Amino acid sequence: MTRTPISRRNFMQQSALWAAAFAGAGAATTGLAHAAREKELNILCWEGYNSAQVLDPFRSSRGATVKAESLTNDPTMINRLRAGETKIWDLINVNNPWARKIMLPEGLIKPLDKSKFEPFFNAMMPEFKAPYKWAMDEAGAELIGMAQRFGPYSFVVNTDKVSRAAAEDQGWNLWNDPANAGKYGILESDDWNVFCLCAISGFDPFKVHSDDEVAKFTETAKRVFKGAKLVGDIATMNQAMVAGEIDFHLTGGTYSASPARADGQPQIRGITPKSGPFQGGKGGIAWIEITSVVNNPELSPLAEDFLAYVQAPDVSHTVAFAEGTFNPVTQMGNPECFKLFSKEELDAIQWDSLAEEMGRSVEYDIVPDYDKLLDIMTAAKREASGG
Amino acid sequence: MSPGLRSALPVVLFLIAGFAAPLIAVIWFSFMPARTFSFGGTPTLENYTTIIESSNYISFLWSLGLGAVTVTLLALICYPIAYGLVRIFGKWSTLITLLFTIPLFVSENIRLYGWVLFLIKNGVLLGTIKSVFGVEPESILFTLPAIVLGMVYVYFPFMLFPMTLGISMVPQDTRDAAMDLGASRWQVFREVELPLSMPGILIGCLLTFVLAVGAIAEAKVLGGQQIIPITHDIEIAFTYAQNWPLGAALSVLLMAVVGTLVLIVLRRFNLDQLLGRR
Repeated sequence: MTRTPISRRNFMQQSALWAAAFAGAGAATTGLAHAAREKELNILCWEGYNSAQVLDPFRSSRGATVKAESLTNDPTMINRLRAGETKIWDLINVNNPWARKIMLPEGLIKPLDKSKFEPFFNAMMPEFKAPYKWAMDEAGAELIGMAQRFGPYSFVVNTDKVSRAAAEDQGWNLWNDPANAGKYGILESDDWNVFCLCAISGFDPFKVHSDDEVAKFTETAKRVFKGAKLVGDIATMNQAMVAGEIDFHLTGGTYSASPARADGQPQIRGITPKSGPFQGGKGGIAWIEITSVVNNPELSPLAEDFLAYVQAPDVSHTVAFAEGTFNPVTQMGNPECFKLFSKEELDAIQWDSLAEEMGRSVEYDIVPDYDKLLDIMTAAKREASGG
Repeated sequence: MSPGLRSALPVVLFLIAGFAAPLIAVIWFSFMPARTFSFGGTPTLENYTTIIESSNYISFLWSLGLGAVTVTLLALICYPIAYGLVRIFGKWSTLITLLFTIPLFVSENIRLYGWVLFLIKNGVLLGTIKSVFGVEPESILFTLPAIVLGMVYVYFPFMLFPMTLGISMVPQDTRDAAMDLGASRWQVFREVELPLSMPGILIGCLLTFVLAVGAIAEAKVLGGQQIIPITHDIEIAFTYAQNWPLGAALSVLLMAVVGTLVLIVLRRFNLDQLLGRR
């Protein structure tokens, strides 16, 4: 074996050769990557769909590489697509209004094969039967996503401190009672807090607001944040309620209370007020997740395959009780799926009052002047910390 | 191109791509119109105007104030410990150092949640007091003292280790010489040890201050967001508000304020001069 001594000149030559070789290999890999999208799936979602319990069986049965990123607010996910990430993601899972009102009109998602996916809706709970409003485009012609997890989401109380009946009757006025200052927390969920502060102020969040309403919102935001014992995440809220630091918290429902309930704390309960300032005098808000196919120029064929996969009764049950939070799923309308839920699981997701609470709730919608209200709320929160 | 420059080129390019480019991107973004997501807008000062006209100064003051309090408390707590590690604890120093280092292997958030369980009503501390003494004191969780406690706890090693290094750099001979010449223990401390260990103290203070001003988890987890530091404002701008240009402008201002303060301190205490004296 001979060794060539390294001089400065041949070092440069060799470096150039190596660089060219790497570049060539890189180009070849890119070519392969395009072909390999057959076995690759990227999902942008709320937590749960990114769990190993949901993804691993799909990965192994398809031999696929599935990447799922979980975020905890809709606007961030949608802005990721707006910022050019439609090239990356195959599926997006957000709350109900975004697919129909924003993502489809902006060309961020594309319609599904109606003949393949519409029949799934017939096995869902009655209120989700086809054509289900939030899964259709505005004209009602195209199917643009699939519904699965849902739940009422207004506020949560510790029923040992405030009874369910009292909380349902008093509703949003719990936060208008000066005696309650220091007894409550606020979930760090700023978009939903805007809705809740509108409700406490006595008007519907899902419309353009008058100057008087904005002034009232400002006053409410300052007062409610000033009176909050803490602002924090779901775990902190549940822990603070169980420990007795707070008696109730703003923005919450099955989604946030279920981890505590599943952990043997049934006194932590999501509440939907009996009446409130929403359309038709309804008292609360509910969310329904819609999962859509992203308008990816190189869409993975596994995208629609995954959407069909999560409709199966056993996978739906896994989705309902994936890690993090626990939620009802539309597929519980199918007896094959429903029988998989134990009594404890049904208790955790407040099955006893679910239909009643959904009936008293309006569906989550877009707040036209959200940016303005959010800025007011952020300032109120900051000023509350000013002393 | 000189051979030196040519050889340095890969590192220079790496630094430009990895360090300067993101910084320039943030600075450039701060001049883009509010709530836009592209670099191509017409540059404007509106984000800076918005910040000046808003109550963001409260968050700036909280961050700077909490940073200053943390540094002061840590300097007072760490100096005696660092002194002990170098001069007194002897063979136990390694074990003690190890004990102070081990928590760094656990995520900051997990350690802070540990403090929540310790401090919360009916938790480890108050629950024990309640069961043993039958009294139930008020919890300090979700208050300003809890935030300060968390910051002092988290940034403790960042002050302790530079300080230990600073003290260990004071030659024993210099101390002995001062003693031989009749200096009292106080004089040795004030005129020999403190000035000679100043580089370590200063580096510890600067490091801790810069980290503490950028802290967010302590105010969120232990403070229950009773205080909104500037980093939290930046986070809200980039997430819920989706106002990246405003978040970028806040970041640029924070960098400018902290950078200016650090430069002022470095001018006041010239590190080279301090080190050169030895």
